[in-house]
Amino acid sequence: MDARPPVGAKVVPDPAVPQRRSASAFGGRRRWYGYAFVAPVALFLCAVIVLPLGHAFWTSLHRVRGLNTTFVGLANYVRVLGDEAFWHSLYVSLVFTGASVALHMALGLALALMLHALRVARTPLRILFLTPWMVAPAVGATIWLWLLEPQFGVVNYLLRALHVTSGPVAWLGEPATALAAVIAVDVWRGVPFVMLLMLAGLQTIPLEQYEAAAIDGATAVQRFRHVTWPNLRYLLVVASTLDIINTIRHYDIIGVMTAGGPAGGTEVLPVLLYNTAFRANRFGDAAAIGVALLVLVLAFSIVYVRLTRPDRVEAA
Amino acid sequence: MRRAKPSRQALLWCATLVALAFVLFPFYWMLNTSLKPPSEVFASPPTFFSSHWSLDAYAAVFSTRPVGRYFVNSLIVAAGATLLSVTLAALAAYGLTRFFPRGATPFVMFLLFTKMLPETLLIIPYFQLMSDLNLLNTYLALILAYSSFALPFSVWMLIGFFRSIPREIDEAAVMDGATVLQTFRRVILPLARPGLTAVALFTFLLAWNSYLWALVLTTDASMFVLSVGIANMVGEYRVQWNELMAAAFVAALPVMVLYSLLERHLVDAITAGAVKG
Repeated sequence: MDARPPVGAKVVPDPAVPQRRSASAFGGRRRWYGYAFVAPVALFLCAVIVLPLGHAFWTSLHRVRGLNTTFVGLANYVRVLGDEAFWHSLYVSLVFTGASVALHMALGLALALMLHALRVARTPLRILFLTPWMVAPAVGATIWLWLLEPQFGVVNYLLRALHVTSGPVAWLGEPATALAAVIAVDVWRGVPFVMLLMLAGLQTIPLEQYEAAAIDGATAVQRFRHVTWPNLRYLLVVASTLDIINTIRHYDIIGVMTAGGPAGGTEVLPVLLYNTAFRANRFGDAAAIGVALLVLVLAFSIVYVRLTRPDRVEAA
Repeated sequence: MRRAKPSRQALLWCATLVALAFVLFPFYWMLNTSLKPPSEVFASPPTFFSSHWSLDAYAAVFSTRPVGRYFVNSLIVAAGATLLSVTLAALAAYGLTRFFPRGATPFVMFLLFTKMLPETLLIIPYFQLMSDLNLLNTYLALILAYSSFALPFSVWMLIGFFRSIPREIDEAAVMDGATVLQTFRRVILPLARPGLTAVALFTFLLAWNSYLWALVLTTDASMFVLSVGIANMVGEYRVQWNELMAAAFVAALPVMVLYSLLERHLVDAITAGAVKG
């Protein structure tokens, strides 16, 4: 793939790449100073990330009933993987993530192209378009609950006024419409971020390439296909991988809007995990679901890390 | 593309404004509902504009509901997490860029890895550990949780900023007789101000907007943060939508103000952070 240096490569030099070193400023004790500066973060992250992560694995191998904890080996995993609810949840997660990410990308790119082509007021417009992404997902979801309210909600009113629907629709009352609704809200929230990345990407495309295309008499569509698209392709792949990682582990919107219902119709893996732990009080099973989710996220993370690896970027 | 005709610009503007209307309509509806008297909230057809707009719902959420308390809770945990996370991140970034010019790779990979962890997985052990330590319903539990997921990104970003400060400056300070800590505090930190501001804002907004951690780590209503308090109001028997929307506006306003004032800072930092790990 013809990879371009991504946006921002110039802003954040990679820490992993050694810098040319001049004479040591702090003499022979420098290494100890270094440890002293890094130690607080290293210890803190051990306490708040590594220890809890280890504890989660430990929990996944135990049955936790109140104060009684018994070692059960892989029994939790066997039970979770044998449960149809898990596979259904995985399916819902994939549909939710697939649809949301595809729409984030398509609409985000379209918006970025539109904004990039405008000659004035780009910055204020960018801030305005970013609003859904700034506000807490839980608060955004609450606003949408009111918009989608079956009897008094404005969405049903507008759809009826436009003769799209004939009566009030209980959007969150049926599995299919509920899933569509939470996807719509996630799209509303997620598009601005992709738009932001794409706008930054568009700004790095050399103008000469467009000028050359114009001299060759390229139409707008041809300019997009032969100049914009090849230049943005790498960024699109990176952004969608990152977006998959963020969407597949997202809890807030669905947690607030449906809590996984109706009938498990919107129960993505993070919501299944929460419900198993904090509603059904089955911490062992929930931890096993969490480990499964971690494996899924890690698979995409590896792709992401490989894509953004410094040597790859520099080789381009 | 650059030499677009005026008619094309007009067309673009129309499309942009239509898109903007879709994007912003929920916020308009939030504001509109929050300003309506209770009788008009359930009017059919709904009113898009009202001559009865008033701030009564705002007065109500602050007097009859603990929204003021939620606001203070959100502020305390977000500010606490920001302070802790920026301090630790600045120390680590300085240490990594100054003393480990080549040995930092494993640590940086570890930071990247922690950025990808699903928070729902960590929420289970967090709940168990915090309840064992009797830290449920405390600010400390939330500050620790928010710092834990803001830190990896903060360190990562600050490394970039500290890198851009020439090492000759450190060396000059040492020549003048400054100790390592003095060099860090008096010379390097002031130079890294834009980076520290971006990281502080990022952490503050992350903590302010967070929902799941506070949902699990607080059970006492007086310890709720805004996001949890608001989502909880949805579960009431008869939802007072105008009050709920007023509370939502109170939660959203600080974020919107901070973003629009400091957009440049954040956007650069976030785009760089996303694409570059």
